[in-house]
Amino acid sequence: MAEAKSTGAARPAGVAWTALLVQALLPIALILLLLGFALVESRVLSAGNLLNLLVQASYLAIFASAQMMVIITRGFDLSLGTCVSAVSVVSALAMTGSLAAGGEATGLAIAAGMLFGLGMGALIGLFNGFAVAWLRVNPFVATLGSLNICLGIATMASDGRPVFNVPREFSALVYNGSVMGVPMPVVLAVLLLAVLHFVLNHTVFGRALFLIGGNPTAAAVAGLPSRRYLTLAYVLCSLIAAVGALMLTGRTGSGEPNLGGNLTLESIAAAVIGGVSLRGGIGGVPSVILGALFVTVLSNGMNLTRIDGNVQMIVLGSVIILAVFLDRFRAVAR
Amino acid sequence: MTVRPLAVHAHPPTGAEQLSQRLLSVGLLPILLVLSVAFMAVFEQKFFGLNNLFNVLRSTSFLAIVAAGQMLVLIVGGFDLSVGAVIALTSTVMAKSMAALSAAMPDQTAAIITLGVLAGLGCGVFIGLINGLCVAFLRVSPFMVTLGTLSIATGLALLLTQGIPVYGMPDVFVKEFGRALWLGLPTTVYIALAIIALVWFMQTRTRLGRYLYAVGGNLQAAIVSGVPATLNVILAYVLCSVLAATAGVLMTARLGSGQASMGGDDMMLQSIAAAVIAGVSLRGGIGRVELVALGALFLSILTNAMNLLRVDSKMQVVVLGFILVLAVALEEYARRRRRHG
Repeated sequence: MAEAKSTGAARPAGVAWTALLVQALLPIALILLLLGFALVESRVLSAGNLLNLLVQASYLAIFASAQMMVIITRGFDLSLGTCVSAVSVVSALAMTGSLAAGGEATGLAIAAGMLFGLGMGALIGLFNGFAVAWLRVNPFVATLGSLNICLGIATMASDGRPVFNVPREFSALVYNGSVMGVPMPVVLAVLLLAVLHFVLNHTVFGRALFLIGGNPTAAAVAGLPSRRYLTLAYVLCSLIAAVGALMLTGRTGSGEPNLGGNLTLESIAAAVIGGVSLRGGIGGVPSVILGALFVTVLSNGMNLTRIDGNVQMIVLGSVIILAVFLDRFRAVAR
Repeated sequence: MTVRPLAVHAHPPTGAEQLSQRLLSVGLLPILLVLSVAFMAVFEQKFFGLNNLFNVLRSTSFLAIVAAGQMLVLIVGGFDLSVGAVIALTSTVMAKSMAALSAAMPDQTAAIITLGVLAGLGCGVFIGLINGLCVAFLRVSPFMVTLGTLSIATGLALLLTQGIPVYGMPDVFVKEFGRALWLGLPTTVYIALAIIALVWFMQTRTRLGRYLYAVGGNLQAAIVSGVPATLNVILAYVLCSVLAATAGVLMTARLGSGQASMGGDDMMLQSIAAAVIAGVSLRGGIGRVELVALGALFLSILTNAMNLLRVDSKMQVVVLGFILVLAVALEEYARRRRRHG
């Protein structure tokens, strides 16, 4: 987003205004949406629900920012949802397994669970990155393949059943706890997104990702180690998704082989609605947060106003298509 | 990848080189097909039972029809994620309208069937038009547009049925068509063959076919040479959805009820997999329907073989994932080999 503003300044004032309007469109839409739902159902604006919205949006923002890492490079990750399932199952199994073996050492069990979960995520990311960057397999096909592989791992490892007996302390750590009144998921999401924001904007790797996505030929000519960076982007994507998966596992208190569900599509939708371009090279943490908030407010509002779940699907589909219109409009304004 | 010295071309290629060149030009698919059938001949005779062969042929037919449509969209450089949802929508709309028409005019079976099938195919035209118009006029990412229509069509199908199977289609339609054998083969096989032949004819003998390749191969060049690119892209998407709808009609006739769970993500993924294994390029401009049909046959045989060999269904998913990535990696390798001589 930063570069859009800086280039906008050099152009005639009219263009800058259009660009500003496009920037402001989503926040305005978000507020209107919230107020609209509040008119129908006053509970939407209650303190409890607003906090709930924030927690929900935290999870989605994490998954959408994972997705953003690879969308910036003109790729995407279809395996995100099943990766979340696989990480959830593997980490829960690691925790229950080490509890069964080691007895009372809960802290050790939690550490083992996190280690195995993150390791699983890194492995999946390496597979995707290797296939995309080194074997030059189209990201769609590569991650379609790993989608299937992760699905298999998740269901085989768990036998298709939830893995229970995840230590309560783990849930306390990543879900129930709070720091100065702010719920733990929100704290974790803010920390993660802040680090990600720094990496994207203030490190060579982060800046290089934008160039690789915006103009791959220029990136190659400039001598960037594109393959290594691309691989790293996929590894980071899966790692961030794994962190989100651990947080979701803490919330449900069990390893769920279906935890990923619609996360892949939702994460892509949130990122693109927020303004991450599928043409690559454009995106940022603030966009992802806005997109995640928008999708969360939409589905939360529809739930509270008791709109049929099937109608919700139709609405979400229409919003996705609308977002693409908006993306096109943004590109023209730029 | 090793860089081969230029001198290699100075002397005639050795036998091994000739063989590898020929393998790369034919593609791996026919070889894989023969190998898998040979494997089954040795390890599992049940594969060659008549009923099992019919099952393989049926699922190949469904998949080949959808994959042929998917291929057309891939050729123009697009994607269609909504094919599975179109199947679901077609299935429920057709069954619903047939059931309603049967209640209104019980005697006119022919009219009921015709109108019902038309209503089903109409869903395909409708979704295909949305996809095509959005992609062609707005030049937006087909991924997002078809993701949107996927969600919309699934929502509509579920809304229409509330997830309950729709019965009440005329018996004739199910017994004399959907589950029937003509000259000893399931009806769907003939229809699939006819569709593949039509698409083959379209691709090799008509202007539309050449235009589709031109648009996908090099959009700018196509526009400059006067190819109506927008129209052709829209047509590709409409054809894709109509073919998916056709598969939906056939699957519904076979099953005997309209179901919102029909098709789904599975059909979407499999149709792309079948096309990609058959060498259809995701960059557009490349793809032949006869190979796509072989790809569908290979996937169906593979699934069936794993079922017969009692491979865990979860393991099957993993195997399919690896095969998909491997196929594309090999294809990419072959492409680069060819380009570098």
